[in-house]
Amino acid sequence: MNRKKQFTEGLITNNPVLVQQIGMCATMAITTTLFNGVGMGLSVLIILTCCNVVISAIRKIIPGEIRLAIFVVVIAGFVTIVDLLLQAFVPALSEALGVFIPLIVVNCIIIGRAEAFCQKSPVKDSFFDGIFQGLGYTCVLIVMCVVREFLGAGRFGGGLIDVTNGFRFTLDGTGAGIQIFPESYGMSIMSLPFGGFLTLGFLIAAMQYALKKAEDKKAKRAEEEKKEAEESC
Amino acid sequence: MNKILKLSLVLFLISAIVAGVLGVINNITAPVIDAQRQAKTAAAFASVLKADRFEELEFNNPDFPTVQTVHKAEGVGYVVTSVFSGAQGNITLAVGVDNDYKCTGISVIEHSETSGLGANAASTGEVGVNFRAQFVGQDEGIALANAGGSIDALTGATITSRAITEAVATSIRAVKSLA
Amino acid sequence: MLSSIITISLGAILINNFIFSQFLGCCPFLGCSNKVDTAVGMGLAVVFVMGLASAICWVINEYILVALHLEFLQTLAFILVIAALVQFVEMFLKKMVPSLYAALGIFLPLITTNCAVLGVVLLNVQNNYNFIESLVYGITGGIGFLLAIVLFASVRERVEFAEYPACFRGFSICLVSAALVALAFMGFSGMSIPV
Repeated sequence: MNRKKQFTEGLITNNPVLVQQIGMCATMAITTTLFNGVGMGLSVLIILTCCNVVISAIRKIIPGEIRLAIFVVVIAGFVTIVDLLLQAFVPALSEALGVFIPLIVVNCIIIGRAEAFCQKSPVKDSFFDGIFQGLGYTCVLIVMCVVREFLGAGRFGGGLIDVTNGFRFTLDGTGAGIQIFPESYGMSIMSLPFGGFLTLGFLIAAMQYALKKAEDKKAKRAEEEKKEAEESC
Repeated sequence: MNKILKLSLVLFLISAIVAGVLGVINNITAPVIDAQRQAKTAAAFASVLKADRFEELEFNNPDFPTVQTVHKAEGVGYVVTSVFSGAQGNITLAVGVDNDYKCTGISVIEHSETSGLGANAASTGEVGVNFRAQFVGQDEGIALANAGGSIDALTGATITSRAITEAVATSIRAVKSLA
Repeated sequence: MLSSIITISLGAILINNFIFSQFLGCCPFLGCSNKVDTAVGMGLAVVFVMGLASAICWVINEYILVALHLEFLQTLAFILVIAALVQFVEMFLKKMVPSLYAALGIFLPLITTNCAVLGVVLLNVQNNYNFIESLVYGITGGIGFLLAIVLFASVRERVEFAEYPACFRGFSICLVSAALVALAFMGFSGMSIPV
């Protein structure tokens, strides 16, 4: 299978959130600071890749009748591992994401990929599918975070970037971020549920607009080519 | 019947393997998580009361069901931790109280409040720092501005703000009850 | 006791509505809200399963996981219980109450992956609720979901007749209208509960 095609599918044409429209709960709930978004995105990426590989590896010995139950057990196992590791080594993230880490179990992205892709593809393809779909998910989370954090608190990179003593990344979630305008001038409603729904709604609309435009262009080019071919004969 | 038996056996085996792996990981992470919790509590204590040593006191007063522990710092004051319900779930709060029964600072140890609203009580941002700074120097008569006091509630998080304000008052009263 | 039940109920239905303030259960919320009838069916099925799951998972957590110090298996155990429960409820309804099965049947399998169900069970543990409180939180959380999905389905039926840019077609316009309903629900967030 073509890696490049898999890459564009994961990030753009078959993006899990913007095109397949799955896994939206966490996308709207936790995207209030860049730290949360990157943390959640990477957690899902790791879990998705591991689950894809394992499910693809055991796909031939799974009885069809109980495949969903087995998927769920495997996914729950990896989610708990990541949950425990985060609690131990990145407690700030596990606190900020709270119940949404264990809820990755029912995130439709993972079970959806297992059902639609891994149970009929070899391990290597499933591995890359996990990486690219996970990256697509992470990118959407990052865009959501940047928009909501900027409008809501006038900040960029909260928790992840610290500029008080020169620019550095804070992986423990303590960085205050770059304040672009004073926090009290921000529309704090953007960091509330309202902002989550609205931002994702506009993001999907923008994606549909872009995809439609690309398709129109392609159709137009095909038409022109057809015309040229007709003229030449 | 044979088929059902086989299916359940497969499911059971896979669950057992997963549970076994989780047990191993849990053994590795459990002590680290414990140490993290302790370090966090210690950091919270240090941020609410300037003292080097904290000594736990016996505290079982049925009048204060929310109070979990009281620590004494000789000559400086006390730190009270309490668990009470906020807007979403339980909040664990550390309150520093000096010997004149005035609050020296508060720190939210654990919470599950709404991100962007009640969660600001614990945030390191401008809003959170300003909110917590209001409690310094307050006595047991502390109340929210809309109840005749001087504490401004967090925007959109009246319930969280009131719960914290009440917990601070309770903590000060708990320290008074020791005298 | 009574006051804590009232606090939990009002909180779960209005102030911290599962959809509009906690973002739990958004997928079925957007997927099953195009008609009021389907919305009512899905909502009722969720109330039923959430209440049942809260009660059963509380017992399992308290008497098996906590008793044996296996708290780290919570996520795994809960999701298996929910999946088995949904399957069992489906078989039971099919045999005993076919009329109810005809109404709720198609929604039941979808509920396994509804994060509101797993969410409510995990929140019960996180908040240290006792058995009654867990049960109340499960049922009222489900009622909150029902209220949200029915209200939103009525909004969507109106949106169908509105004119909006073509690129907003589908989920996009749904999310924007959901944002406005969420804004309305924010009015409850300042509500004070007399304790």
